Amino acid sequence: MSSRNARGSNSSRLDTGLLLACCVLSVIALVLPDRMGEPIATTIRRTVLSPLLTVQGQAQTVRAAITARDDDLTLRGAAAAQASAAPELAAENDALRRMLGLAGRLRDGFVVAEAFHPAGLTDDFTITISAGSAVGVNAFTPVVTADGLVGMVESSDRTRSIAITWAHPDFGVSAMSADESAFGIVKPHLVSGPERYLLELRGVPFRASLDSGTLVVTSGLGATYPRGISVGTVISEIPTTERWARTYLLKPSVLPGTLSAVVLLLPSRVAAGVSQVWTDVSSADSAARAIVAASDSAARLAALAELAARRAAMQAASDSAKADSMIAPLGSAPTVRPPSVVPPIRPRPDTPPPRTVPPGVPQ
Amino acid sequence: MNPWSLLRGLGVFIALVAAHFSLRPLIGGPVPIDFLCLAVLFAAVRVRPGVAAIIGFLAGIGMDSLALQGFGSSALAFTIVAFGASWLKAVFFADNLGLTALFVFLGKWAFDVVYVLVSGGVPDGQVLVQVLLWSPLAAALTALVGVTLLVLARPVFGTRRAAHRRR
Repeated sequence: MSSRNARGSNSSRLDTGLLLACCVLSVIALVLPDRMGEPIATTIRRTVLSPLLTVQGQAQTVRAAITARDDDLTLRGAAAAQASAAPELAAENDALRRMLGLAGRLRDGFVVAEAFHPAGLTDDFTITISAGSAVGVNAFTPVVTADGLVGMVESSDRTRSIAITWAHPDFGVSAMSADESAFGIVKPHLVSGPERYLLELRGVPFRASLDSGTLVVTSGLGATYPRGISVGTVISEIPTTERWARTYLLKPSVLPGTLSAVVLLLPSRVAAGVSQVWTDVSSADSAARAIVAASDSAARLAALAELAARRAAMQAASDSAKADSMIAPLGSAPTVRPPSVVPPIRPRPDTPPPRTVPPGVPQ
Repeated sequence: MNPWSLLRGLGVFIALVAAHFSLRPLIGGPVPIDFLCLAVLFAAVRVRPGVAAIIGFLAGIGMDSLALQGFGSSALAFTIVAFGASWLKAVFFADNLGLTALFVFLGKWAFDVVYVLVSGGVPDGQVLVQVLLWSPLAAALTALVGVTLLVLARPVFGTRRAAHRRR
């Protein structure tokens, strides 16, 4: 028993001695000057640790390759996102450019705000505007862009407003041809399909005939919209059962789906009027856009894309109308107001050079 | 310790050291897993405290040779931790996984605390953050990995109960 205790005591002393020795060596290594410690470290690195460091280097290379691959994929994703956003940015730049021109022409009595489409909350014909009663925007405030009439504010709180666009079923505005030869009421074209995004000019006296491409502007009758805001251009006449008045199909001046910034006309501006703001500057706008389009390839591409899209939409409408006319003799139910065959799209008077301006369109 | 047990312990030690130099750079991240600490702790509980101190010292001096400053600090920290681990193995290193995790956690944390205080490589303003935040996180991750390795490689590691039975 005593010999076992003695052996255990010796072992314990040996353990303690080893611990102290290791600690002393560690402390010596700690206090060694760099010029003496570095050769020891170098020797260890070059001998014992050499294979392990080789493995570590290879592992770090693999990780660097994985990280680089991740960065590459992230970069590609960002580039693709930017490329997809480029046309939208070009369109937004174009809209803002035109908005600046409109602001310069209106001079005062208006508020510029952003327009949102609250997806899922309301219908497609309502927009939310980032300006409210705090800046003087109230119900019935007209909403416009540089292209023309958008709609009117229906309700407003302090910082936001809700507006209906011209496509809303409740929308209506008294309008006239730009040369003041014909008056009527503009309402949305309430049919199904792509033509839903067109307008009707109703109640035009039978004696007043409008050519395709004629610019239609607000007449100023009523208290909401001032006179002279561009509403749309005539596409064709719609045959109706009314014999004493004509109804025309209009291509709206503003496409609500592309809205980003809008101008709200305050009561002082409505009272002062906006005549000549849209009608007289169409040609100036057209010239400005031609300059921009010639120098700005992005703007030119955007304009061509917009033109192609509109042509496709109108072609679809035309095909639909043809199909309706073929179905009608077979006794199928007619639409609310079947339009005649839609003629080829006519250019707007304020569009860039690729669109030819018909001689009868006022500039 | 029989030759088979010695060989097994040596294999585990070498595998963990190799993992420290191969897996750790691959995994990366702000809170690294210290496979070398696991290797030292798992080796220390199988040998006498004096031998554990030598293992810790050698492992530490190897790590010190890779550092730019504080040559000897890892050696001192690993020496103390390995000796303590071997001395406390009867208390802590049971078959209970929770106790094993706690053992590894405390061992790694103790190493980090000693290393940070001795080496002086961490700026003064970040010592507390390193000791109280990053070191416990790294210790917890290391403990988790250690317990996982114990569960996965239980036949290789063996248990104290089995060792007692063999004796």
